[in-house]
Amino acid sequence: MTEPMVSLRGVYKIFGQDGASVMDHVKNGMGKEELLADHQHVLGLNDINVDMQAGEITVVMGLSGSGKSTLIRHLNRLIEPTAGEIIVQGEDVMQLSETGLREVRQQKMSMVFQKFALLPHKTVLQNAGMPLSVRGEDAEVCNREAAKWLDRVGLAGFENHYPAQLSGGMQQRVGIARALTANTDIMLMDEAFSALDPLIRTDMQDLLLELQKELHKTIIFITHDLDEALKLADHLVILKDGYVVQQGEPQHILLNPNDPYIEDFVSDINRARVLRVRSVMTPLSDGAVPDGAHGDVDVDDTLESMIARSGGDTSHAYVVKDGDETVGTLDMTSLVRALVPRVSSDDGVRNY
Amino acid sequence: MAFYDKLFETLGLSNWCGEAGSGAPLSMADLMAQASGDAASGPFFPFPSLDNLNESCSAILQSRDVTKGIEDGFLAAKPALKSVLDPLTQPLSWMLDGALWLFEATPWFIMIPVLVGISWYASRSKPVTIFVFVAIMLLGLVDHYDVAMQTLSIIFVCTTISVLLGVPIGIAMSKSDRLQKFTVPVLDLLQTLPTFVYLIPLIFLFSVTESKLYGIAIILYAIVPVIRLTDLGIRLVDQDVIEAADAFGMNSKQKLLRVQLPLALPNIMAGVNQTIMMSLAMVVIASLVSAPGLGVNVLRGIRNLELGVGIVAGIGIVLLAVILDRVSKAALSRVDMTHVKH
Repeated sequence: MTEPMVSLRGVYKIFGQDGASVMDHVKNGMGKEELLADHQHVLGLNDINVDMQAGEITVVMGLSGSGKSTLIRHLNRLIEPTAGEIIVQGEDVMQLSETGLREVRQQKMSMVFQKFALLPHKTVLQNAGMPLSVRGEDAEVCNREAAKWLDRVGLAGFENHYPAQLSGGMQQRVGIARALTANTDIMLMDEAFSALDPLIRTDMQDLLLELQKELHKTIIFITHDLDEALKLADHLVILKDGYVVQQGEPQHILLNPNDPYIEDFVSDINRARVLRVRSVMTPLSDGAVPDGAHGDVDVDDTLESMIARSGGDTSHAYVVKDGDETVGTLDMTSLVRALVPRVSSDDGVRNY
Repeated sequence: MAFYDKLFETLGLSNWCGEAGSGAPLSMADLMAQASGDAASGPFFPFPSLDNLNESCSAILQSRDVTKGIEDGFLAAKPALKSVLDPLTQPLSWMLDGALWLFEATPWFIMIPVLVGISWYASRSKPVTIFVFVAIMLLGLVDHYDVAMQTLSIIFVCTTISVLLGVPIGIAMSKSDRLQKFTVPVLDLLQTLPTFVYLIPLIFLFSVTESKLYGIAIILYAIVPVIRLTDLGIRLVDQDVIEAADAFGMNSKQKLLRVQLPLALPNIMAGVNQTIMMSLAMVVIASLVSAPGLGVNVLRGIRNLELGVGIVAGIGIVLLAVILDRVSKAALSRVDMTHVKH
């Protein structure tokens, strides 16, 4: 595997008067409640080790209070860690001077915020051009780049409006255009779509995936919504109380949850829409194609589309292709079995 | 025989006290008591104040010595203070005199259009501009144009200086919690100190003929709101926007000029409005120390019981206040408009 774009090594964050003084307790395994009760410190992040690969969307998911917003603010050091290393493109950002840190924030990372955080007294065009003007570029360059990206996110014609004149969805498009204008390899998205209504949110997710297909940025996306996480993620990190419960390929997590907390989470999901043929097929070990197949399917088709295709007939079987290569077979019975979660949503861990 | 004699005797301090009732000057109350020959009158158990203790023990100071001590101390420090403050504040005198000369020397047929023009430029509001024109014409009609211009010139200079000093102080306060902790009590003091009290030390320090005397009094009084509201305005700027500014790598100067000051502007403008109003209030009191303008007429009305003169000048001040308030408020709301334009 290539060197990750961003990696966190043993990152701890303890909020309170003197976080460093209670580090030892935390390293010895003291829990969040105990730390708060005995030492009046809040455990924000607990031994985070995450690698974020270039060109991938890494989604950090967790409920409120799980430390996900704290985590993303460590990447550009809006929040200082208590201990640990944060390595961006091989460079430890913890060692940077103030000027160096500003340089990294200007050149390497851009950020999209939950509450948009646009400048209310500037026009949409000026807002989108802000990252370049901060670097000291000419107004002409800023405006040209800003107009280009505003057009790309579907806001052509709104350049001279003020943010307050736009709807929430449009304001967040400005936020995304601003991050794209910065033209950085890394994009940090802090619950970027959480403040939007469900339809707009779906639109924005599609927009992000479409942009990602051509731009191949390294995106770190924070969300509390598992559907959103599964839709966007190449690599999924699930946080709870400041520690990583499980991380890996989303399909894998969905099929093999290693913690009751995650089992409970995934039991509510529409699995047919999320799971793909690749995850439930029987791999072809000897290269033999089975008889009586009802046709060819792609490895990345969702199970939902397969059910539609088979008309609900569980006796069907299909040949799975990855491009031109035959990689496995799909038996509709095993497909249906995969749709049943190991724990039903009714008796989840939330109940006790 | 005073009430506390016994106390000093039991404490064995009689020697230290010396002979009671020595050469200390007598107060009027003492004289009255002597005249009536009834020294024992008064409350049964008097408060152990300096004066009452002094009656039993002359080594203890009287209250009047305290006030006299403050006065002597101030007078002793005066030469040093004066040698520092005099040259430092001299430009203020020049500015006040210069502005006064400018406002008086400009003929009315130029001055009035200029003022109306400024009102229009600042407020962009027809009713406000028309009101300004009518009000100035009214003042002129009753021969108060000149004094009104004098008052206006003083307010112009004092407000400008207050803003020039107050906004940077407010910015510094918003950046440092410690500075804020030290500055707020000073601001409270300046705001609650009775307006007349400002004048007393200033009269000692500077000659009454110098215009900086009232200039300083007005600025000290009027600078408070612009400092407070600049500090407040910057502290109230949305933290999310500040975070965005940080995330895109703005340095602190860019953050101040591009984010904090523009977003705090409505609050700062509200502070400027208050500063204008307070300098107008103070300019009337400052007429006691030779500040020219409408206040002089009010003072004349009080001194000579010329009811009409006082009332006309009073109404003139109200008109001036309404003009300044409306124009600055209209300017304020115009600034606000660019923030939430729907």
